[in-house]
Amino acid sequence: MKHNNSAGFSRLLVIWGITLVVVAICLGGTLLLIERSKLTAIPVAPPPLPTAANPSDTPPPPQEVNLFLLDATTLTLVPIKIERRLHTNDLTKRLNQVVTALIQETPPNFRNTIPRGTELHEVYIDNQQTAYLDFSSHLTDGHIGGTTAEFLTVTAILKTIFDAFPDHIKQVQILIDGEEIKTIAGHLNLSQPLRLTQ
Amino acid sequence: MQKIQERCVNRDAVPVKIGALFLCILVLAITLKGIAQAPTVRFIDADGKIIAEIPAHHQGEQVYLPIDAVKQVIDPRATHQYNHPRKRLTLKTKGRQIRLQMGKSAISIEPDGQTLTLATPPITIAQQPMLPVNFFIQLLPMLNNVEVIYNSNLNRLQIRPKRTWTPAETNNTQNWAIIVDPGHGGPDHGGASSTGRLEKNIVLTLAKQLQERIKQQGIQVHLTRETDTQKTHFERIQIAKQNQGQLFLSLHCNASFSPHEKGIRIYLNNPKGRIRFPNTTKPALIGQQLKVLAQVNFLKQSQDFAQALQTELNFLTETPIQIIDIPLIALSETYMPAVVLELGYLSNFEDLEKLSNAEYTASVVEAITRALQRYISFINQQTSPTAPEE
Ligand SMILES: [Zn+2]
Repeated sequence: MKHNNSAGFSRLLVIWGITLVVVAICLGGTLLLIERSKLTAIPVAPPPLPTAANPSDTPPPPQEVNLFLLDATTLTLVPIKIERRLHTNDLTKRLNQVVTALIQETPPNFRNTIPRGTELHEVYIDNQQTAYLDFSSHLTDGHIGGTTAEFLTVTAILKTIFDAFPDHIKQVQILIDGEEIKTIAGHLNLSQPLRLTQ
Repeated sequence: MQKIQERCVNRDAVPVKIGALFLCILVLAITLKGIAQAPTVRFIDADGKIIAEIPAHHQGEQVYLPIDAVKQVIDPRATHQYNHPRKRLTLKTKGRQIRLQMGKSAISIEPDGQTLTLATPPITIAQQPMLPVNFFIQLLPMLNNVEVIYNSNLNRLQIRPKRTWTPAETNNTQNWAIIVDPGHGGPDHGGASSTGRLEKNIVLTLAKQLQERIKQQGIQVHLTRETDTQKTHFERIQIAKQNQGQLFLSLHCNASFSPHEKGIRIYLNNPKGRIRFPNTTKPALIGQQLKVLAQVNFLKQSQDFAQALQTELNFLTETPIQIIDIPLIALSETYMPAVVLELGYLSNFEDLEKLSNAEYTASVVEAITRALQRYISFINQQTSPTAPEE
C-alpha cells in the first residue's frame, strides 16, 4: 500500500501530538507526586538567633519543635518538625518562640489554622501551670468562622504547646488584647483554661 | 533498499503503536468510568441498614429497576407474568393483582378495583419491562404499610414503619416547646462562602421553614431571632427560658481551612469533651463552674436528641455524621437538652451547592422534624410508666 506523503505526515503529526500531550500529563503528574512527597521535609530558613540580652551569649543549639498544622488532604492536624534556637533558661521566652513559630510557619499543602496576620502580644505562665497567650484581635476578626475551624485553631495551639512543654504547661487560656474572651468565632467556649482529652 | 524500507515501516510503526496504546488507555478509562458510575438503587431500613442494592437503568432523568426488585423489596413471594407482544405486566403480590402497561402511567390494582397513576410510566429496556423508582415509592406504602423516603441524589430509598401517633403521644407533643436558634445575625455574619453567601441568612431561612414544619406536628416552636438582628448568647437563653423551652436546637453553617472538608456535624456542649475545662478552676469562676456542672445533667438527653438527628440526617449524606463533644459557648448555661447542628461547610463547594438547593434544604427540614418526633416519643416512652397505674 502506498501512502499519500502529506496525509501520512499529518497523521504522524497528530499521533505525535497526542503522544506528546500524554507524556506531558504523565510528567506533570510525576513531578506533582515528587513535589508532594517532599512535603514531610520542609525547607527551613536558617533558625533565627534569639534576641539575647547579652550579645556576647553564645547562641543556643537548634532544637526540634513540632508545629501542628492542618494536612489539607487528610483533614487532620499533623506535627511538622522545624528547628529553632530556643531559649534554654527562660520558659516564657521559649513558649513565646514556639507559639510565634506556629503563627508563622505554613509549608505548602498544609494550612495554618491561625488567621494570617495574627500577632502574639505576650505570653505568661502562672503557678497553676496555666499558659496565657495574648493574641491580637485579628485572631477573632480574621477568623473564617465555623465550629470545625474554631476547633482546629484551638486544638493546633493546644497540641503544639503540650507537645513542646509536656512537663511545664497543663492548660492554656487564650486572651485577646489582654482580655479574657468567651469565644473566637461564636461556637467554642474559651472562657476558661483549656486542656485536651487523651 | 530492503533495509531502508524496513526502517521506514518501523519508523511508521512506532507512532502507530503509541497511538494504539493511547487509544487502549482511553477506551479503558471510559469503560472504568462507566463501571464506576453504574447506577444502583439502595433500599435501606429505618436504621440505615441495607435491605437491597439493585442495579438500575438511567433513562433521561428517570431511574428504572428490573421486575426482580419487587421480590427483593416488596414481597419475596411475588410472581409476575409479562406479555411481550402486548407489553403488559401483571404482578401478583399480597393477594393483589397489579396490572401495568408499558409506556402508560395508569395501573390497576385488583381486587380493590383501585387505579393509580404513576408519576413515571414503566418502560421496556432491551425488551424487558422496567419499573420506575416511583412505582416503589407509590406502591410500597400501600402494600406494606410503610413510609418511603427517596433521596434522588444518592439513589437511596428508605423504607420505614409508618409512624402513627397514639392519642397520648399527640397530647404530649402539644406540651412540647422547641427553641430553634438561628446562629449569628446582624453585624455578626458568622461564616461566609467565597460566593458571598452568609451563615446568618442560610440558618434563618432554614429555621423559619423548620418552624413552619414543626408547628404542623402540633409542637410549639420559638425562634431566638426572627429577623437579621444581633442577639447575645444571654438574650437567646432568656428567650428559651421565657418560652419554657424543653429542647434547644442551634443552627449553624460550618467552615474549615480545607475546602475538602464537608458534611453535616452535630455538636454537644460537653465541658469534658475533646477539648475540656480543667477540673479545678480559679476561685473567681467557681459560680460558673457550678452552672457548668448543672448543665451536664442534660448531657444524656442532649445525646439522645443528637442521636435522633444523626439517624435521620445520615439518610441525606454519603458518610455517617459525627457527633462531637466540646465546650460550646452557644449552649453554655442552656439548662435544657441542647444541640448545635452544623448544616454543611460554606468552605466546601458541594455543601454550598446543596445548601442553595431548595429541595435539599426541604429534605433537611423533614429529617430534623422526624428526628424531633423520634426524640419526643423516646422521651415519652421513658417518662410514661410501662404499666399505667390508673
Ligand atoms: Zn456559626
